[in-house]
Amino acid sequence: MVLSGVTKRFGDVTAVDGMNLEIRDGEFFSLLGPSGCGKTTTLRMIAGFEYPTEGSVRIQGREMGLEPPNRRPVNTVFQSYALFPHMTVAENVGFGLKMRGVGRSEIAERVARALDQVQLAHRSDARPSQLSGGQQQRVALARALVNEPAVLLLDEPLGALDLKLRQAMQVELKELQERVGITFVYVTHDQEEALTMSDRIGVMNEGRLLQVGEPEAIYERPTSRFVADFIGHINLVTAECAGSGMVRIGDGAEVAVPGVQGAGGKVTIALRPERLHLTAPDADIPAGANRLRGVVRRRVYHGDGFTYEVAVAGTVLEVRTENTPGLVRYEAGSDICVYWDPSAANLVED
Amino acid sequence: MTGRWISRLLGLHSWAVYVFFYAPIAVLVFLSFNDNRLVTVWTGASLRWYREMLENDQVLSAIRNSLIVAGVSTIVSVVLGTAAALGLERFRWRGRRIFDGLLYLPIIIPDVTMAVMMLLFFVQVFGLVELAFGPKIGLGLATISLSHVAFNISFVAVVVRARLAGLDPALEEAAADLYADRRQAFLHVTLPLIMPGVLGGALLALTLSLDDVVITSFVSGPGSTTLPVYVFGLVKRGVTPLINAVSTVMLVASMLLVFVSLIFQRGDGKVPQGTRQ
Amino acid sequence: MAAPVTPELEAAAERAQARRGLLVSLPAYAYLVVFFAIPLVIVFVVSVFGRRNPRGATVYGPPTLDAYRKIFEPGPDGSYLVLEIVWRSLWLSVVTTIVCLLLAYPLAYYIATRTPRVRNALLVLVMIPFWSNFLVRTYAWRVLLGRSGPVTAVTSALGLTDTPMIFTVNAVLIGLVYGFLPFMVLPLYAAIERMDWSLVEAARDLYASGWQAFRKITWPLSRPGVIAGSILVFIPAFGAYVTPEILGGSKTTLLGSYIVRQFLQARDAPFGSALSFVLMSVMLGATIVYFRTGARNL
Repeated sequence: MVLSGVTKRFGDVTAVDGMNLEIRDGEFFSLLGPSGCGKTTTLRMIAGFEYPTEGSVRIQGREMGLEPPNRRPVNTVFQSYALFPHMTVAENVGFGLKMRGVGRSEIAERVARALDQVQLAHRSDARPSQLSGGQQQRVALARALVNEPAVLLLDEPLGALDLKLRQAMQVELKELQERVGITFVYVTHDQEEALTMSDRIGVMNEGRLLQVGEPEAIYERPTSRFVADFIGHINLVTAECAGSGMVRIGDGAEVAVPGVQGAGGKVTIALRPERLHLTAPDADIPAGANRLRGVVRRRVYHGDGFTYEVAVAGTVLEVRTENTPGLVRYEAGSDICVYWDPSAANLVED
Repeated sequence: MTGRWISRLLGLHSWAVYVFFYAPIAVLVFLSFNDNRLVTVWTGASLRWYREMLENDQVLSAIRNSLIVAGVSTIVSVVLGTAAALGLERFRWRGRRIFDGLLYLPIIIPDVTMAVMMLLFFVQVFGLVELAFGPKIGLGLATISLSHVAFNISFVAVVVRARLAGLDPALEEAAADLYADRRQAFLHVTLPLIMPGVLGGALLALTLSLDDVVITSFVSGPGSTTLPVYVFGLVKRGVTPLINAVSTVMLVASMLLVFVSLIFQRGDGKVPQGTRQ
Repeated sequence: MAAPVTPELEAAAERAQARRGLLVSLPAYAYLVVFFAIPLVIVFVVSVFGRRNPRGATVYGPPTLDAYRKIFEPGPDGSYLVLEIVWRSLWLSVVTTIVCLLLAYPLAYYIATRTPRVRNALLVLVMIPFWSNFLVRTYAWRVLLGRSGPVTAVTSALGLTDTPMIFTVNAVLIGLVYGFLPFMVLPLYAAIERMDWSLVEAARDLYASGWQAFRKITWPLSRPGVIAGSILVFIPAFGAYVTPEILGGSKTTLLGSYIVRQFLQARDAPFGSALSFVLMSVMLGATIVYFRTGARNL
């Protein structure tokens, strides 16, 4: 599926701005971004509920243009599930096939198979209102998948579920996708969900697609301040280039950052808290590591680890440590040394 | 302690209001079984006035006229009003605001003004028809029905629109997403889901049509008197046991409609999923 | 194969959708234009261009405000009959509204604070008179208040008065209150029922007495219901026809009956049209005020 130059304007507001995106066959692709970033509008344009102001949506090589939703080879799992309340589970799942004029016996057979796939064969005569949230979610999935669409669109489908169920469904969804081999386009604002499930992620903000890549690349090598900040915790430090791979931060301390060129320019470097390490001020650190002396300002306990706020070189860094046996704890106010491997730092655009 | 007293007073007051609501109706129903020609002089229970009612050709013809007008105007206004609700709630088009305003006017306009409007309008139309084609036509069941539709459309549209507004738009999108064309999506998804609203609107239209006195009396001609207009004419001349009997029948009919509507509302409660926002 | 979308194509799709909306609405729209908007214009035209000739027919001439002026002119006997009628209609409908409010508010509050099961039953008991035939409900009071009716029997037995109440202003007032009370109860109930009771608890927690909590929290929060109910009672009461005709006498003529009389007896269509137009304008004004204040209070 290919989107090229897709723009959507509602009056003066540009919801999606010149989006170019290619989604590969059979991949689990997530569109990630804060609410109002245009990700749902993008999904709705693929489904045909909304037409772009400009641009092209091609699915399986076919230009979609102004085709209505019922003539597109895609199906949607809605955020509210949108199960028809006046139909049974089986009637809901069979609705698409019935509309396409599939014969009765074939509908019955395929509905049974689809419900089997989501372990709901025993509830086929129930009404949606008699099902739990998780079960409704699965009916919505079966209702879409039974049509064997080229692309399945999912609009924050796990948003209404509680945490435990959501995590179980994440695993289940991923397994299901691998089993059926259908392309999934998954819209979410939950970065953890996107990271755990996706083959690739596209991060959006203010109508623009900022970065597309595999989860690791998005997390480890964000290219922009927004992507770095939106996904996980991160320290963003403004620095001045000091030439030959070095930058000057805050009060003048110099640290090595690969890829920095020239001198005098301003850059922003991104450092994940878990890539920073703490040690006593005079302790030895690995060769080649950057080190800064500082003072612990605060320590927060998370159960599986601690987060320290450390004042160093005129700025404050967040440092994350795992709760491993023999972990040394540092009290607020104690002098300390922060060090990290230069490769952990990442340059991002503002 | 004062809280207890206040809540007792509240209860007392409320039950007094209920007595106020029902006592007059109860007295009326009770007196309709009085055998005496004088309404308030009780001489024994009998069904005499009901028998008399059933033998009264004028009452029977008025009942027939009322049912025809109510039936026709309800069907027409339900179709037009439901379509209007869909057009306003599901589409954006120029002139929508004006239509919206026009649709509310019949609800707030006083009966008397509406009656005057319809009378003057039909008089003008008849004058033009006579001038252009020659035949003399007059007021009758047709003009009554046309007038009733004119106010019923609005009430139906408001009720159906409320139902449509409470419907998750994703349901109709889901139908389109699942290969239903516009017609199929309407027949299989939208219509069944707004049905409680459509039926509620129909009941309201039926009730209003069966209630109307002023407008109907302005646009009815000889032989087209409806039951309320006929009863109104009788009442103005005085209280009779016959009116009591006819009134009781009308009350029973109204209450049957209430219970029908309650049953629909109960069916309504079974589909909470579709209305969640 | 379809073409990529351009702004022109998107606009065309929007236009097609708009056309569909107009098409769906068109039958009702056309109907209301023909059978409502045009009649309304005709009433206005008759009130401005029409004159009553001595035989009671309406003839047309250059525009004049005579029909409207007639409202403010004294009649042949020197009394300001029309203004008196308008004034009577006005205060009677205001009193009706206030009495309905006083009766309905405690009732609505009581219903809203019951358990759901009781609440539904009590609501149905309000719905039944709401749906029952208005004419019949009014007629019941004619029987009750009549010369040998039960109410008169009670008052004379108590030694209060032997004169029946029928055909007096009080009879009309009772009829109007009885007729329109359900219109007050239902919106009040809706407003009180959806109120957030934790706000009252918060007020009590912050040292408000029960009465203070009611005055400062419950009453302001139920204001939209009060306004809606008041409008729903005031509008039909001001234009009432059936109630004063059945329960009132010659000295209690209200605007509605007076307008009808212009057409069925006096045969003065221009004057009747002018009065209808004034009546409608008052209603529209009241409704607009309602929507304005309602919007501010929501």
